[in-house]
Amino acid sequence: MQQSNRVHRTGKRARSWTALLLMTALLAGCAGGNDGSGGAPVNENNTPPQASSTANQKPIKLEIIESGNNLPSPDKDQIKQELDKALNIDLSLTVYPSGDDYSNQLNVRMASGNFPDLFMINRQQLLQFSKQGLLLDLTPYLDQLQQTVDFIGEDSLKKGIVGNNVYAISKSPQVPYNTYFIRKDWLDALGLEVPQTIEELSAVAQAFTTGDPDGNGKPDTLGLTGGKLGAFAPVFGSYGVGMPGNFYEKDGTVVNSLYDPAMREALAFIRDMISTGAVDPELLANSGLQHQEKAIKGQAGIIYIDWPNMTKEQFVEQIQTVNPNAEWIQIEAPEGPAGRYDGAWDIGASPGRYAIPKALEKQPEKLQRVFDLLNYVSDPDGGSMLVQFGVEDVHYTLEGGVPQMTEQSGDVGHSWLYQFTGRPEMDYLQAKFAAQSDYITFAADQPRIEVLDGFIDNPDGFNQADATRYIEEELAKFVYSKRPLDEYDDFLQTLETSMNYSTFVDSAMTQLQELGFGS
Amino acid sequence: MVRGLDDKLFNTFVYIILGLCGLAAVLPILYVVSVSITPFGEVLRNGGFILFPREITFSAYKTLLTESNIPRAFQVTIFITVVGTAVNLVLTALMAYPLSRKNLPGRHLFLLMIVFTLLFSGGIIPTYLIVKSMGLLDSVWAMILPNAVWSFNVLIMKSFFEGLPEELFESARMDGAKEFRILLQIVTPLSVPVLLTVGLFYLVGHWNEFFQAIFYVTDRTLFPLQVVVREILMQSQQPLENAENMMPTQTMQMASVMLASLPVIVIYPFLQKHFTKGMLLGSIKG
Amino acid sequence: MQTPGLADASSLQPSRWQTTAKTLWRFRAFYLMLLPGIVYFVIFRYFPMYGVIIAFKDFAIMEGITGSPWINPWYKHFQDFYQSPYFGQLMTNTLLISLYKLVWGTLPPILLALLLNECRLRWLKSFVQTLTYMPHFLSWVIIFGILLSLFSQNGGLINRWIVESGGSSIPFLTSTDYFRSILVGSEVWQNLGWGAIIYLAAMSGIDPTLYEAAKVDGATRLRMIWHITLPGIRSIIILLFILKLGHLLDAGFDQIYILYNIQVYPVADILDTWVYRTGLQQMNFSLASAVGLFKSSIGLLLVLGANGLAKRWGEGIW
Repeated sequence: MQQSNRVHRTGKRARSWTALLLMTALLAGCAGGNDGSGGAPVNENNTPPQASSTANQKPIKLEIIESGNNLPSPDKDQIKQELDKALNIDLSLTVYPSGDDYSNQLNVRMASGNFPDLFMINRQQLLQFSKQGLLLDLTPYLDQLQQTVDFIGEDSLKKGIVGNNVYAISKSPQVPYNTYFIRKDWLDALGLEVPQTIEELSAVAQAFTTGDPDGNGKPDTLGLTGGKLGAFAPVFGSYGVGMPGNFYEKDGTVVNSLYDPAMREALAFIRDMISTGAVDPELLANSGLQHQEKAIKGQAGIIYIDWPNMTKEQFVEQIQTVNPNAEWIQIEAPEGPAGRYDGAWDIGASPGRYAIPKALEKQPEKLQRVFDLLNYVSDPDGGSMLVQFGVEDVHYTLEGGVPQMTEQSGDVGHSWLYQFTGRPEMDYLQAKFAAQSDYITFAADQPRIEVLDGFIDNPDGFNQADATRYIEEELAKFVYSKRPLDEYDDFLQTLETSMNYSTFVDSAMTQLQELGFGS
Repeated sequence: MVRGLDDKLFNTFVYIILGLCGLAAVLPILYVVSVSITPFGEVLRNGGFILFPREITFSAYKTLLTESNIPRAFQVTIFITVVGTAVNLVLTALMAYPLSRKNLPGRHLFLLMIVFTLLFSGGIIPTYLIVKSMGLLDSVWAMILPNAVWSFNVLIMKSFFEGLPEELFESARMDGAKEFRILLQIVTPLSVPVLLTVGLFYLVGHWNEFFQAIFYVTDRTLFPLQVVVREILMQSQQPLENAENMMPTQTMQMASVMLASLPVIVIYPFLQKHFTKGMLLGSIKG
Repeated sequence: MQTPGLADASSLQPSRWQTTAKTLWRFRAFYLMLLPGIVYFVIFRYFPMYGVIIAFKDFAIMEGITGSPWINPWYKHFQDFYQSPYFGQLMTNTLLISLYKLVWGTLPPILLALLLNECRLRWLKSFVQTLTYMPHFLSWVIIFGILLSLFSQNGGLINRWIVESGGSSIPFLTSTDYFRSILVGSEVWQNLGWGAIIYLAAMSGIDPTLYEAAKVDGATRLRMIWHITLPGIRSIIILLFILKLGHLLDAGFDQIYILYNIQVYPVADILDTWVYRTGLQQMNFSLASAVGLFKSSIGLLLVLGANGLAKRWGEGIW
């Protein structure tokens, strides 16, 4: 081998050079052939400029993408079929179960000019895409969208505005779902009452951990679990602070929770509670629905979670299988120095925004169908009922004006994927989840700290990801007693300087003041 | 005498270690299988851990095979796997053979060019533009052509071809055989192990394909298996903030994983016999 | 190509042109074989490469890759990356995790392949080979579920044993002490049998007469492994090692992203997870591209260096 190498070394240079020549030729040839495809995005919607008189005969294809799941195939999708029929369209919806997959798809399609006709976007995308002129300015069309605007309401309309123009339709507002749930049978077994204050909460959690509430003689139970620090949302609330990093109004001014003096006290309380060993040691590692699983398995006795994941039939059944005596009850937020607040609720956040590409203005006929679709699913006398409950007398019946779900309603369990403009939240939930009705009202009626984060856009030069990591990491150290709370000021100092947090706070304050908060 | 004893000791040692490796691999797999055939309530009652199911149900499999998109996705996946692997193997062998000839002018440059693509890529947006301009969007070819050759596999195959004895080629060339015939009639039969290995890499790659499907395909009827399975698995990772969401149970998740990987697992034992030590060269030389 | 008149007119050394052309002609069959593959590489791999320039641009989707404005200074995105307070930690974590995986991802599969090769019980060989191959098909989401049921602090099988035998539970998944071992261990477990396949294939190419001759000389099996089997698969070991070196700065995004949590960030956060949170989730594609370019460049240097070294031993990719 060595020898053959040496033999061929002579003339190696010449050969390489030849090959290079060959390659260049090849490259040039191919690049020439492909020229243009890499340039400016080309609009490839080849719909011929059809005469509008014949338009009504042929259904127009509308392509919509969003994140979601459990969409059935088109031949089994009754909602699609009904919408197609009602609007003379051929609706093609694609949903992506992973948010990352969805934004990747959206980005490549935007970059290649292969625009869907309607698509879901988040605040960040709304800002960037509108700035770059990719989104259709809906302001001049608001008359045509009257039905939609009436349906979502003024506040939601604002959530789609950038500058002075409406670039997206935000779904109608939703209501909070989260509360503490507690094992009633465990309380009874230990002769305890429902905790009314945060001190009692801590005591009960401790009793659940050490008192063997399930009576199996093993130390295998925990007090409190939840998804990360969210497990303590009502505790933060009881001190009158939002979740770490939240902005909210307090005594007439806007504050950031990290700078709220009560934050330190809240952290101290949480630290003490954790040090009793009554809190899920893997609290901060719980991702997805791990905390729910711990609750269902009978490992934890208190959980901060939404009612669907605790009270829907599927989960009630699971809870009963594990332990037929298990009884979970929803409880009020425990009282603390500032009263009772069941965590934070972002009044600036949107349940979902949809935008139309600017390119569609060249196809007025198609654009009109998109408007028709939005108006139709917003029309209480039209399609709104369809995308909420399905087909009348098949999937639901109206009894005294109140929809009752039928046996067949399972076939349209995915109808929410078509609620592009939202739904009348409380009526909808009450009808669709009749069995959970009390839980729904209870959660919705809890007092919450109204936070404003959804109104804030990140300023340039601020790396949100690094700051978030730093905050989460240091707070974890504080509550796990790995860093003394005396160093809280040092923490803020580092956050402001190394993480540029002061730039962010200043900008946020200005933005919120411009919107009229804190005055 | 002593040698026989040594041999026995050595064998025992080999068997013990292999047994342990097998055990380490099989226990978690057993867990996946068991969960997939146990009612979910039963799984939870056991604290989430089950090795030997006491109560068996195939309802998860039944649901997946009758109510989900899995049966259709199977067809798509089988098509892209079979056609894709065939295309891959032909192109890869055609590249690897010339590159294994050490006197080929420009060989270094071609190899460098291949290695370079292992490290650098232009990102998804320009690739998407190419796929789009070729009119491949929303077609099965979008899941086959953009990965028609893997640099890694070319290098593997080339390295194996280099190990073939030089005399074989010399004698074939004296017979006046053309290079294409040498590749087809001499190199290929001698390289069954590497062709199978590389073929297996490609096959598994296609079988597990979801990345390109997510980008290039929006038509649900063309989704391959892993996209459907991913849909089932991802829901447990990022529960959407909505009341309607139906979370697939762990039983369902495990069943979908089993369904999706069983076919590629069962073909492996059939390929193994071709890896037997020294089989091919022995027969040729002898 | 072979029009002598043209060559004569355009070059002072017609003989050189002719030699070159002749050489090319002699190898025409080989070039023809290479052609389809090269066309593929040019279209799908090289043509899109202009995309890397967004590392030096302020990428705006509407303007496209070529139309977006150049950023000032040109190294702005690299600077953003370098100036992150976490830069040092990210590099350390990435390199450490990657090096552990390089070592543990290389040796055990070779060992398994050797053992399988020595195994005289055919059923055991086939059995173990198939079993160890299976974990490769479990995605990290599933493996995460398995790890939880084994290592979770509440209810994990191992901690249940520990607690029942009087010990106190160990935070395997949330402690910086154990997390890297969990990462490397689960990776080794997942890829043990899969990684062994290629070495087994390489062993099947070893001339059996070598073993027979060694046996006649009275060599022990260990000696045969050392002197025949290992040298027989040397070139594939080196090839794989060089290629893995090229990906030294990829420490395994999918795995870490699913397994990590805020308490283990100091030992688990790597370049790719940082880029994901900073670049991709916040639509800063240019930053993501800059870090990618950085990683690839280091990878290229390592590959070139390693290949240079390998060539001294008569191996190497080219």
